[in-house]
Amino acid sequence: MRKEYYEIIEHTADIGIRVKADDLAGLFSKAAAAMFDIIVEKKEGNKGIPFLKEKRGDSQFKIKLTADNLEELFVTWLSELLYLFSVREVVPWDFKINNLDETNLAAVVLAESIAHYRVKTEIKAVTYHELEVKKVDSEWQGKVIFDV
Amino acid sequence: MSDIWQGQLEKIDDLRWRIPKSYKPGMRVDGIIYADEKLLKDIRHDKAAEQVANVAFLPGIVRASMAMPDIHWGFGFPIGGVAATDIEEGGVIAPGGIGYDINCGIRLMRTNFQYEDIKDRTKDLVNTLFSYVPSGVGSKGDIKVSAKEERRLLVEGAKWAVKQGFGTEEDLECTEENGAIEGADPDAVSDRAYERGKAQSGTLGSGNHFVEVQVIDQLYDADLCDAFGLDLGQVMVMIHSGSRGFGYQICDEYARGMIRCLQKYNINVPDRQLACAPVNSPEAKQYLGAMRCAANYAWANRQCLMHLTRESFEKVFSMSWQKMGMSLIYDVAHNIAKIEKYTIDGKEKKLCVHRKGATRAFGPGNPALPERYQKTGQPVIIPGDMGRNSYLLAGTKKAEEETFGSTCHGAGRVKSRSAATRSVDYGELMKQLESKGIFVRASGKGTIVEEAPEAYKDVNDVVKVVHDAGISKRVCRMRPVGVIKG
Repeated sequence: MRKEYYEIIEHTADIGIRVKADDLAGLFSKAAAAMFDIIVEKKEGNKGIPFLKEKRGDSQFKIKLTADNLEELFVTWLSELLYLFSVREVVPWDFKINNLDETNLAAVVLAESIAHYRVKTEIKAVTYHELEVKKVDSEWQGKVIFDV
Repeated sequence: MSDIWQGQLEKIDDLRWRIPKSYKPGMRVDGIIYADEKLLKDIRHDKAAEQVANVAFLPGIVRASMAMPDIHWGFGFPIGGVAATDIEEGGVIAPGGIGYDINCGIRLMRTNFQYEDIKDRTKDLVNTLFSYVPSGVGSKGDIKVSAKEERRLLVEGAKWAVKQGFGTEEDLECTEENGAIEGADPDAVSDRAYERGKAQSGTLGSGNHFVEVQVIDQLYDADLCDAFGLDLGQVMVMIHSGSRGFGYQICDEYARGMIRCLQKYNINVPDRQLACAPVNSPEAKQYLGAMRCAANYAWANRQCLMHLTRESFEKVFSMSWQKMGMSLIYDVAHNIAKIEKYTIDGKEKKLCVHRKGATRAFGPGNPALPERYQKTGQPVIIPGDMGRNSYLLAGTKKAEEETFGSTCHGAGRVKSRSAATRSVDYGELMKQLESKGIFVRASGKGTIVEEAPEAYKDVNDVVKVVHDAGISKRVCRMRPVGVIKG
């Protein structure tokens, strides 16, 4: 399954993604969008969450995270969004990352009510298996597996 | 499918294969995989065997890192992994050895019905179950639990549900740990986990969780069938569910927290998903306290689901569930860690036994079993997949001696979800199932396709291995007639 901005990785019982971006913030945003594209689909109209923004955000969440290193920050970011989805019943669709380095992240996330979406796949958690967040030449590459 | 595992495997006998500890420096014990040649081919197709070798790194691990025949790749530990660590020798507990879905487990109910009695009502029954039992991702239950009650639920488990009127004391007797494991500590559970679990009591969940109406289609052991009150053609009900978002959140938080413990306690593991801490450490004690809360949550959940199932039958057949003989045979966990006593080299030891995608299988005479199962051994419930068989087995003394009282848990996947989605056509699959007399309702087409029979190993093969290895005994086999899936 190929999408414009992410690639699915086959796994026996779980599901993974590969993303690429020009900068780290782009990588983090794409990975988040990809994760929710796996979890939900829009009820009417377009399937999935297009990466391009549309005017439809309902609620805003400020996120501030720290971690011991970049890979852990990546997992913590995705886990935080998953938690938000589970508990607030919203689907994050826009990710404005204001501050990002190896151990800190600050972002403002826009999210739409889950009422507009159908859930396809339950992601239990973000795992460390085969986790990659690295720069190859001038491109940032990320790989992460989700426990479903 | 990923690369074929090229690691070292020595044949012990037709059913046991050794990964010698020389395979990977750092392995403290051998790995042992229970499988026959046929299953071994599939096993080599994912990296599960490498994970068996990795688990052998755990400090305090005793005897071997074991894998049941339904083994497949998982988070840290393989699914189907069994490992016991010696607590007095600095043995550890690893959240990856229990899994995200803490106390994902299964229960089996009998009924007085023969298939002929319900044949014409199966569709009705499936539709009623589907409307009564909340299922699917993010499904919310009708069973409301206040914050104060929630803490009580986490300590009392299934007993809490019985106190609310969702079952009987007899149900508790027929549940592993009597439906609640001691040592649950609600203070060890984060606010986030409470948030995530709040609305989900009495819900089925999704993916491979299900309620299944089944018919016994083969008897293997006449004495055991008599003892369990089972006969050919008898209608049974199986419920498979776990601790929902509550368990996932607890595992996630503690697994990540324990990564720091690796440095603190000077533990070397090849995979950070085997993050662990000595059982006697404060971090491990906290995790155990929280893990037990999740386990009890799952038992309360399955008790509620059984109550809703009984109500569904009452609606369709206009009879009380007691009159329909809908009693619980047993309920087992297959993602859990227990502190149990075993004799190792002549000495009695307290071990932390991890069973991840593995089921406890205690034999006759074990004091942990209720009076009614003292002669038979513990009932072991093995679900197959949607189109194929499930089994009831009985635990054995051999399992206690060889695998820390453990056996397989189900069929185990062979195909990734995306591969299943590509190769399985929903329409064709439904036609196939209906032609076999199996009615399915699920909250999403995707679920049915991902859970298609061809995505799984053949449970008959898996059960044959554990039976022939002597670690559980076949009692009877069931085939599905009605399924509701999340």
